[in-house]
Amino acid sequence: MTARLVLYDWTPDVRCYAVRLGLSLMGMTYEIRAVDTDLPVGQRPAGLRAGERPPVLVAGSVRLSRPGVIMQFIARQPEVARAWLDPAHEWAILDWLDFGTTALDTMAAARDAAFGTTLPVLPPMGALVAALRRMEDHMSARAMEGHDWFAAPAASIADVVLFVVFALTVDLGVERDTCPALRRWARRMRGLPGFVVMPGVPDYA
Amino acid sequence: MKRWQPVSVLSDIRRGEVAGVRIGGREVVLWREDAPTPTLHAWEDRCPHRGMRLSFGFVRDDALGCLYHGWQFGGGARCRLIPAHPQVRVPASIHVHAYGVREHAGLAWVSMDGAEDFPAGGTGPDNVLPVRTLHVKASVGPLRHAAGIAPDAGIAWHGPVGLAVHEPVAGQAMLHVVRVADADGPSYPALSRWAEQLRDAVESGAGIAPVMNGLIAGEMA
Repeated sequence: MTARLVLYDWTPDVRCYAVRLGLSLMGMTYEIRAVDTDLPVGQRPAGLRAGERPPVLVAGSVRLSRPGVIMQFIARQPEVARAWLDPAHEWAILDWLDFGTTALDTMAAARDAAFGTTLPVLPPMGALVAALRRMEDHMSARAMEGHDWFAAPAASIADVVLFVVFALTVDLGVERDTCPALRRWARRMRGLPGFVVMPGVPDYA
Repeated sequence: MKRWQPVSVLSDIRRGEVAGVRIGGREVVLWREDAPTPTLHAWEDRCPHRGMRLSFGFVRDDALGCLYHGWQFGGGARCRLIPAHPQVRVPASIHVHAYGVREHAGLAWVSMDGAEDFPAGGTGPDNVLPVRTLHVKASVGPLRHAAGIAPDAGIAWHGPVGLAVHEPVAGQAMLHVVRVADADGPSYPALSRWAEQLRDAVESGAGIAPVMNGLIAGEMA
């Protein structure tokens, strides 16, 4: 590693969780600067620039804010196992990674709508439910082919982002029994060394 | 009416696994022991301590532990360990409500009302393996009709392929697909894709007949 990693982080944010989970699973050490986005701008860490919101990962002169790009940046570090962005399956991994980060943005907006109000209202869930169904059909087919993960023989950065989408849609009223293949895959994710939780993501289940 | 309901393919509830399912709007936890002869259990999905869903919990050997405070429930659905008071002999009155559960034709069948005779309507073919369970956003009535399931039957056979349906909650359905293991016919991946077509046709109100004819004629990709 050439430069130390600093993550501007807001614990309950789903995109921040995806980054923390990726950093932990890939075995990277990093410093956290907690950013409470509910506080006035003047009370946020000085290192965070105007208009930026967590997650922001800083590594020397590199400054990244998009979870999918952060995942690729981490996975391409020399000390990280190549399997997280397996060159033999790179395009499939990147395709599912992009699918996952789009769904993650949709979910972040839905959670803001559902939780960021005095009277929580469930937002329209059509796009997320459609995304979960595509994931469920895909993992059902993968299981029948003898595969455990979305895009490669081992867990990849696509699995990391897609796991966050699946794990936290339960907060938005998606029942687990509608996605049996994803439930079994998520159980494998929980068993990976370095797996970490966030509020709403229990250790098991 | 006392009855058995197919609630999951057995491949979704293997040794040491726990899964929540809904049956007619009621929450049920299915779990299988992590033991040499792993028994399948179906209980009310609610810890008697604080009401936590037991399906968020974990299997430890032949017991199910609640995620919240680790209370463990074993055979007979009785609480056998309260970790905060390990020396306490837990009273028999602390238990989870258990339902009848059977494994048959690649499926887990649950009776919530004490049905005895199993299976209803004959045993069907031997050596049946699970294919897949799918969620369908449609009422069970149209899906049962589309799948050709008789009103008093739990499963409909179309050649080597078995179709079963249950209602997790009003207005939604779960479609369970199984297959006779050693018979000629569509492959497991082809059957899975076919089941997606049936789901999409039922949900969109499109014609069911071409999809079902594809199954009966064995014409699927």
